[in-house]
Amino acid sequence: MTTETAPRSGEPRPAPKGTHRSTDDPNVLLQDDYDFYEPIPPYTPRTEREAEFYTLGDGEMFLNMGPQHPSTHGVLRVVLKLDGERVVDIDPVLGYLHRGVEKLVENADYHQTISQVDPLEYISSLFCEWAPVTAYERLLDVEVPRRAEYIRVLSGELNRIASHALFLGWFALDLGGLTPILWSFIERDEIVEMLAALTGQRMLFNYFRIGGVNGDLNHEFMSRLGDWMSRAVGQIEAGMGLLNENEIFVRRAAGLGVIDTEMALRYCMTGPNLRATGVPFDLRRTHPYSIYPELEFDIPTRTEGDCLARYLLRMEEIKQSIRIIDQCLDKMPDGPIMAKLPRLIRPRPGRAWSGVEGPRGVYGAYAISDGTDQPFRLKIHDPSFIHLQAVGALLPGCLLADCMAVMASLDPIMGGVDK
Amino acid sequence: MTVVARTWDRLTLPGKALFILIPLLGVLTLGLVITIALFGQQILDILIFNLPIVRFVFSVTILMLIFVPMAFVIIYMEMKIIALMNLRIGPDRVGPWGTLLSTVHGLKVLMKEDFTPGKADAVVFTWAPVVVFSTAVLSALVLPFAPGLYGQDMNIGLLYFFAVGGMTVVGLLMGGWSSFNKYSLIGGLRSAAQIVSYEIPLTLSVVGLVILAGTMSLNEIVIQQSRTGWFTDWFMFRQPLGFLIFAIAATAEANRTPFDLTEADSEIVAGFATEYSGMRFGFFFFAEYINVFIISAITVVLFMGGWNAPFPSPHISWIVDPGSLGLWLVILIAIVPVVGTLALAAPFYLFRSKTRWWVALILGFVLFNVIAGGIFSLWAYINFDWVAGLFWFVGKAFALVFLFVWMRGTLPRVRIDQLMGFAWKWLLPAALLNLFVTAAAVLVIDAMKAAPK
Repeated sequence: MTTETAPRSGEPRPAPKGTHRSTDDPNVLLQDDYDFYEPIPPYTPRTEREAEFYTLGDGEMFLNMGPQHPSTHGVLRVVLKLDGERVVDIDPVLGYLHRGVEKLVENADYHQTISQVDPLEYISSLFCEWAPVTAYERLLDVEVPRRAEYIRVLSGELNRIASHALFLGWFALDLGGLTPILWSFIERDEIVEMLAALTGQRMLFNYFRIGGVNGDLNHEFMSRLGDWMSRAVGQIEAGMGLLNENEIFVRRAAGLGVIDTEMALRYCMTGPNLRATGVPFDLRRTHPYSIYPELEFDIPTRTEGDCLARYLLRMEEIKQSIRIIDQCLDKMPDGPIMAKLPRLIRPRPGRAWSGVEGPRGVYGAYAISDGTDQPFRLKIHDPSFIHLQAVGALLPGCLLADCMAVMASLDPIMGGVDK
Repeated sequence: MTVVARTWDRLTLPGKALFILIPLLGVLTLGLVITIALFGQQILDILIFNLPIVRFVFSVTILMLIFVPMAFVIIYMEMKIIALMNLRIGPDRVGPWGTLLSTVHGLKVLMKEDFTPGKADAVVFTWAPVVVFSTAVLSALVLPFAPGLYGQDMNIGLLYFFAVGGMTVVGLLMGGWSSFNKYSLIGGLRSAAQIVSYEIPLTLSVVGLVILAGTMSLNEIVIQQSRTGWFTDWFMFRQPLGFLIFAIAATAEANRTPFDLTEADSEIVAGFATEYSGMRFGFFFFAEYINVFIISAITVVLFMGGWNAPFPSPHISWIVDPGSLGLWLVILIAIVPVVGTLALAAPFYLFRSKTRWWVALILGFVLFNVIAGGIFSLWAYINFDWVAGLFWFVGKAFALVFLFVWMRGTLPRVRIDQLMGFAWKWLLPAALLNLFVTAAAVLVIDAMKAAPK
């Protein structure tokens, strides 16, 4: 379809050969032999797997879900091969949100990289900053002041609650519940306003710095936090009581998208998705970093490994996060919030890996320094990408209605998947 | 340029309109008068001879005129109530408390481009919303709104209602099939499967009621629920299981949450309506909300006493003969509105110094109208059966509409296999059980009555 400028007066010119003018808009030329039944994919299959997938069996059809489907989380496109309502096979198509962050980072100096990795998992930006910042600190061998570490843990746990609250609402929305998402957005909004008072941003905080954090706790943050803490647990439990005691919700989520321990380990899953299968693996306890060894909290696990377990586990984690915030506020020491570092940093050549336990699993950053002021390479290990691989095993056999719910229960963020 | 053309150019737009309209109206009136004078008797004869058809056309027209504003009201209700349940504010921009928003939506869909996808079956695509909308309106033809206020009183009213109401699925299938979109196709097929499955328990659940009532005329059924005048007469209490099955199946019939699989936006975008836009989408949209009202209304008619008040009303008769009032009639008509308006305006003007006199007058006028309207409504309620009946009928129906909206705000959606399993494994056996128990009880009671003492 091409557009051309119509002549100012008189009849439009006759259409070129092989085309005709649209009846809606004579300026639009349409090709005569345009075939609406365009094959998917529009090219000949390139691999055996593609050839197998794009051959339809008896009574099967393709359904393009995404990238503009109302409930794909971000811009994931999944080509479903359906037999009636049942999914036979899927072909996920990624890359609609690819920005080349890892390459951009190589051309930015160490401080600038923080704002580059920020929008990767835009729901929980603080963890995207935390992993590279810690990796750089290991390269530089610098010690972070204790107050800065406490502030990091405090704001990180707040961000974890915001992320989980959003997940709970989304998951309900994918199962057809209208209200929970708006109720959980109230929760998230309070936290986001709080973090905005602390960091100056509502979404992409850009708050952690190499050797500390950007700003100290201020009055507005503390007053908002105190206000929220007094009713947080009750508010979340009241909101989610709408779902947890709902027969329809429980019947749909239970036994759906079951991941067993062996499969979860084989897929390298981490975070709540792994803990829902019964493995108490949490980086905050297994490879302690920051001040987590000083804090008291439990690692909730469940053994079912289905969507309901993943959902309930995140609710438990919210409660544990509130416990951690309580202790942080209780033990918050005085002191500086930044280590003394030069403005332009040049770490000695070497490599460092650092991982933090984010709301979705282990965020890892592997930094290689060549002695200049820019990282030679920064590899981001993103849990969303790892978890999204499981849909290939989980979706076939599901009903169409459950596709989105299974996908949502893994909680992938496409910004992190496509990088 | 002639004088006529110059004069025409000088006229303003309203002037031009009046210039055309007044002669046109004159000609039309003259034509009507002449026609009546010449063929009046014959026309009257034809109308009287074809009275059922005239009644049908008239009542369908009235229903169509009533149902579009009613859909507006229900859409506004849903937007506002769900907003309040979601702890949002909801519509509050257009009109007082946003009440005109759904009207504006209606105007918007009228003005939008009416798009047909390429390769769509244009004829079927166009007729699908018409089928859905007209079946919704036609099925309301037998609803008794109040004593004497109904489209048709058929002796097979209930059968007619289910038959015409079931036609909706044809429209949805047409829309889903002709859209040239797989989401639409899945939506249409889902609706076919769902509505056909739920039609069976829906119909079976009222057979017990029909046995008890002994008739299928909806008017008769309503009258049978007013023996003592108390709400205990309602079939809801004599057929509790039937009522429960009917309520669940009716929710599925109206495609409402938790059974709104046909337009599940998180699964199949908008189901059969995915490719629709403009007024064709508007017809689907209105039909959906009209269906909500009709399903509520039929539930009220069958199980909740129809137009009957839940308690016997005291027999007050307060008919005033205007002729007997004499001079008071003049005072009532000429003086009371003026004095009332002034009296109600005075406090605004006197006690709030910022209020201008004309604002106070407007406020007083509005207040007076509200009070006078209230008194008039009370008078009408006491004196006219149909006003009282309409009040209770619409009140009960809207209470059920509120229930539907409440469910939409609260419940998630069921899965298609759960939906089907529920219909065939639970609702159908329960409906059959209800039917057998009712039939057996009626037989036993009749036998006991007939037995010689």
